[in-house]
Amino acid sequence: MSFLPTILNGLMVGGLYGLFGLGLAFAFGIMRIVNIAHGEFIVLGAYIGASLLSVTHLPLPVVIVLVAVITFALGWALQTVMLNRMIGPNPVPAMVATMGLSIIIRNALVQYYGADIRAIDIGPLQDQGVSIFGTSIGVLPIIIFCTAVLLFVLMHLLLTRTTLGRAFRAAADDFEILETLGFNRKRVYAIAMGLAVTLSAIAGLLLAIRSSYSPYSGVERLLISFEVVIIGGIGSLRGSFLAGLFVGVVQLIGLRINPNSGPLFGHLAFFLILLAKQANLPALFLRRRT
Amino acid sequence: MTLLELEHVDVFYRDLQATFDVSLTVDEGETVAIIGANGAGKSTLLRTMIGLTQCRNGRIRLAGEDVTRLRCDLLARRGVALVPEGRRLFSSLTVEENLLLAMARARKGPWTLNRVYDLFPAMKEFRSHRASDLSGGQQQMVAISRALLTNPRVLLCDELSLGLAPKVISEIYACFDGIRKEGVSIVLVEQDTVRARSASDRLYCLLKGKVRLAAKSSTVTPEAIREAYFGETRA
Repeated sequence: MSFLPTILNGLMVGGLYGLFGLGLAFAFGIMRIVNIAHGEFIVLGAYIGASLLSVTHLPLPVVIVLVAVITFALGWALQTVMLNRMIGPNPVPAMVATMGLSIIIRNALVQYYGADIRAIDIGPLQDQGVSIFGTSIGVLPIIIFCTAVLLFVLMHLLLTRTTLGRAFRAAADDFEILETLGFNRKRVYAIAMGLAVTLSAIAGLLLAIRSSYSPYSGVERLLISFEVVIIGGIGSLRGSFLAGLFVGVVQLIGLRINPNSGPLFGHLAFFLILLAKQANLPALFLRRRT
Repeated sequence: MTLLELEHVDVFYRDLQATFDVSLTVDEGETVAIIGANGAGKSTLLRTMIGLTQCRNGRIRLAGEDVTRLRCDLLARRGVALVPEGRRLFSSLTVEENLLLAMARARKGPWTLNRVYDLFPAMKEFRSHRASDLSGGQQQMVAISRALLTNPRVLLCDELSLGLAPKVISEIYACFDGIRKEGVSIVLVEQDTVRARSASDRLYCLLKGKVRLAAKSSTVTPEAIREAYFGETRA
C-alpha cells in the first residue's frame, strides 16, 4: 500500500492549517494579542457559510466572499469595541477577554445550531476525482488547496507591495513611530484583526466542506493554529505555510496507521519539534564525540 | 510669527513629574535648541510636542490653534515630525519602504523621494537594504529623511549625535542648512552644548524639568550655559 495519496491529502488539508496559523500569528505579530477565540472564529466561518449556502443557494465562491466580508466586520468590531481598550505591555487582559469571548461564541452556536456534528454538502463536486501520479485525488481538495495558496500569495503581495501592508509590518516594529508618521494606530489594528479573523474563517469554511465540524471544534482548531505558529514562527508567511503542510501530512499519516488516533500524531510530532527546539542538538552531539 | 507654543506645561509619568511649568516658543523658520543633562526632561518635552505623551497641565498651540489634547497621528498630519532618539527605524522594512511609509500620510510640500536622495546622496546606495543592517550614521540619514518626507512645519530632532562618530555628526549637521532653507522650524535636543549653540538661533536650558535659561544662541556666554546646565551658583 502506498502512502502517496495520504501525503497528497495531508498537503491539501495542510494549506488550510497554514491559514489557521497565519491568522493567529498575524494578530500576535502586529498587536501582541493572543486571540484565544481564534478557534471559535474558525468554526464561526463554517456556520455562517453553511447558513448562507442553505438559505440563499448562492454558488460557493460568492458565499466565500460574503463570509470574508462578514468575518472581517466581526474582527474589526472585536478590535474596535473590545481589544483596542486593552492594548498595552501586558498581554493578559486581551487573552482573558478573548477566552471569555470564545466561551460565549461556542455556547451561542450550541444554542442556535445545536451540538450536532455537521458537514457542508456542496453537491456533485464533492465526489469527483482526478488521477495524479497514478493515484486518485479529489477535485475539491485541490480547489481548496489552491484557494489557500492564493490567499497566501495575496497576503504576501499585501504585506510587501501596499502602504497598508508596510504599516502592518511597521506597527509590529514600533507603533509609536508609525503614529508620528500620521497613522491611526487603532485603525491599523482594527484592519489587522479583521484580516486575521477573515483568513481563519475562510479556512474554517473550506475545512468544513471537506470534513466535519461542531460548536466544540474550535478548541481543536486553536490547538492546530498554535502548533503551526510555533513550528513555523511568527512573521513568516512561508513558515506558516510549510508548518501547516507539515502538521497536515503528519496528522493524516497518523490516521492512516491508526484510524482511532484522531489528531494524536500531529500533536506528538509537534511535541517532538518542541523538544528538539529546546534541546541544543548540535551541542549534545559534539559533547558525545569529545 | 510663533509656530509652536508651550504654555506652563507639566508632564507626569504616573506620579513622577518630568517637567515643571515649562513655557517656550518656536517661531516660523527658526531653529531652537533645548539642552540639558540626562533626565532634565528634554525628550519628554519633544514627546509632548508631538502628542506621544499628554501633558497634565498647560497648553500647546500650533500656528495659533490649541492642540493640547490632539492625538499623535493627527498632530503629525498637521505638520509635526519627530526624528526620535536612537533613530528607531522600522527594522524589518527596507530603507525605501521606511521612506515610502512616511510619504503615505504626508502633507503637501517641497520634500519628495528625489529631494531627500539629493540631500543624502549616499542613501541611494543602500536604499534596498534592511534598515537593521545600516550603520548608525546611515540610519540617522534615513531617520531624518523619513521625518522630512512628511513635509513638516516643525521638525523635532532628539539627540542626533547619539552614538555617532564626530565626523559623521559634522556631516549630519552640515545638511541642516539645506533643510532650514525650506523654511521649516527645527527643535533640536542635544547634550552637546557647543554643537547645539552653533546650530541654533535660540536655546533653552532645562534643569530637572524646569527652564533655567532662555537666550539667543549668538549672545549667550558659555559660563551662563554651564551655570544653567549644572545648576551651579557661583561661589
